[in-house]
Amino acid sequence: MSRNKLYILLAVACLVGYSWLFFNYRSGTETNPDGSGVCIFKEVTHIPCPSCGSTRSAISLLHGNMTDALYWNPIGFLLGIILVVVPLWLLFDVVFQKDSFFRFYKKSEATLEQKKVAVPLIILVLANWIWNIFKAL
Amino acid sequence: MMNSKFFEGHHLSQIRDRLIAMDESKWGMLQTLQFKDPTTILIVSILAGSLGIDRFLIGDTGLGVGKLLTCGGLGIWAIIDWFLIMDATREKNLEKLQLVLY
Repeated sequence: MSRNKLYILLAVACLVGYSWLFFNYRSGTETNPDGSGVCIFKEVTHIPCPSCGSTRSAISLLHGNMTDALYWNPIGFLLGIILVVVPLWLLFDVVFQKDSFFRFYKKSEATLEQKKVAVPLIILVLANWIWNIFKAL
Repeated sequence: MMNSKFFEGHHLSQIRDRLIAMDESKWGMLQTLQFKDPTTILIVSILAGSLGIDRFLIGDTGLGVGKLLTCGGLGIWAIIDWFLIMDATREKNLEKLQLVLY
């Protein structure tokens, strides 16, 4: 994938992410235990997927409820950080015509493919998934 | 071209020319290449696309993580990928082949 393609994709993703958050923030998804119902996996199997609850987690973060955010889904923290950092980094790269984010992306892809990094992360995601199922998100 | 299903149609003639012009010493390396079958990846994409497994399999780790964290891009990206993943697989196969050919 080329630099520009990645940047456009990420910019669109961040935009969709922010509008999704805004939409859910206004409709008060946090208080609705059924979530938003877009997850195909959950609709088909009635089992929550590994990232179910991250919208509620991010909304809790916006309200400043750290413990709630952690309870809904720790992935919400990760998404929150990405949503803050990525647009700024992209803007920096575009303004100064650099490709520092692109190089970082390629490097982290290579890191993630190493077994000693991948296996612990897979276990972490699986553990989080099992927790999700127990919480019945 | 018994491996033609692994690549996009418009690349085939180019690949054929390259193979004919290729140095004989690279043949052994070429034989060891493992290509991903687009149909298999499509099945994975339909079954586990919202977890990003299809993207991980073809080596798009970054996009795979993105799909996993966002529940298949709110389900929309997962559906779009049902249509994109076969061509993406063929692209990846070509990249793999190019590493040996050039």
